[in-house]
Amino acid sequence: MTSSALAGYLIVSGLLLVIGLVGFLVRRNLIVMFLCTELMFQGAAIAFVAIGRYLFDYSGQVMVIFILTVAAAEAALALALVVLLHRQSNTLDSDAFGELRE
Amino acid sequence: MDLFLPYIACLTFALALFVALRPSPLSFRVLMIAIGSAAAGWLIGLIMGSLSAFADVSQGLFFIIFSLCAIAASMRLITHDRPVYSALYFVLVVLSTAGLFLLLEAEFMAFALVIVYAGAILITYMFVLMLSNQTTESTEEQIQASYDRIPREPAAAVGVGFLLLCLITGTVVDGSSSLPTQGSEQSQWTTLENLPKQFESSVMELDASFAWPPMPSSQGVAIRHDGDETFIVSSEGKTLVLPDELMPRNTQQVGWSLVNDFPVSLELAGVILLMAMFGAAILARRAIELGEEEKRSILLGSETETEEDSAGAQS
Repeated sequence: MTSSALAGYLIVSGLLLVIGLVGFLVRRNLIVMFLCTELMFQGAAIAFVAIGRYLFDYSGQVMVIFILTVAAAEAALALALVVLLHRQSNTLDSDAFGELRE
Repeated sequence: MDLFLPYIACLTFALALFVALRPSPLSFRVLMIAIGSAAAGWLIGLIMGSLSAFADVSQGLFFIIFSLCAIAASMRLITHDRPVYSALYFVLVVLSTAGLFLLLEAEFMAFALVIVYAGAILITYMFVLMLSNQTTESTEEQIQASYDRIPREPAAAVGVGFLLLCLITGTVVDGSSSLPTQGSEQSQWTTLENLPKQFESSVMELDASFAWPPMPSSQGVAIRHDGDETFIVSSEGKTLVLPDELMPRNTQQVGWSLVNDFPVSLELAGVILLMAMFGAAILARRAIELGEEEKRSILLGSETETEEDSAGAQS
């Protein structure tokens, strides 16, 4: 794997990260916002695996296992919170929960 | 390398994403997403130079297909009105990422990604989406909620995304000249010394007369390289060339790295998953608020019923 191929993979991972970030800022549906954080995790995972492949260092793939762990834990907790909020106010609009600020 | 053209590609991508985010007819959105994906492909092409960066052409073609598929699906994800379709497009992103992992020779991670993401996490998302689905009317044209149709501050968000993309592009272009030297493929052989049982049985299959064990580590390295060949030195100084099939597989390498380099992180990951399970169970539990009257009626309900029954029997 040449260094320019590595650069291509890194650009793809950066694009996924940027799209996830834009989606997180733009969307107002709580569930889609969390989907966008998963998208950012994907971008990070591609960067880890590509650099690990370039250096023949398998720590990169081990990091992806930990990313999967964190993503699973985040999905479980965040979705439980979303279900709770949806029961209280019967909407998924993130702007509707401004009263939680205080 | 001149950064002018890559930045133009970034700008095109950001503009297409901005237009696609605004409420507009479906065909116009799809056109904008196609333009954005083309800009992304142009950017990747500018950074990589040519497909000759890959070992063979088919690998480069698959890289382009998978990466464009992932980028287009993720753009559609953040522009789609319906959350359920967004979740399905995320499955497409996960599958394309798994394809990229296969190209990177990370088979175990590719399949683990499909199983865990597409199989487990996305199912959880779908369940929550269906739990919270409000459009129960059976009309043909269901109107999506306004918070799904109207984006929040698309200009500012795309501006931030554009700046971040330019930063990433500039860093990748600057850094590609000062990368550390590429690791050698032969470094993978050293893991084999840590798997003595498998190592011994496969060496015995190759040559039964080989004097096991190999040279102890106090006298030097047992597995050595000479050009393309890898051979093992026995304690008597005898050498045996190892075929490529004996090289540790990807899964073995990842497993060894996981338990050898990150044992504490592995334990912590287990604790995090356990805590997440407890947290989700406690958060999602429905607490029923009962007044005094209701509590009494539930506690005494069986007794009053029996009294009524006996009263009915007497009359």
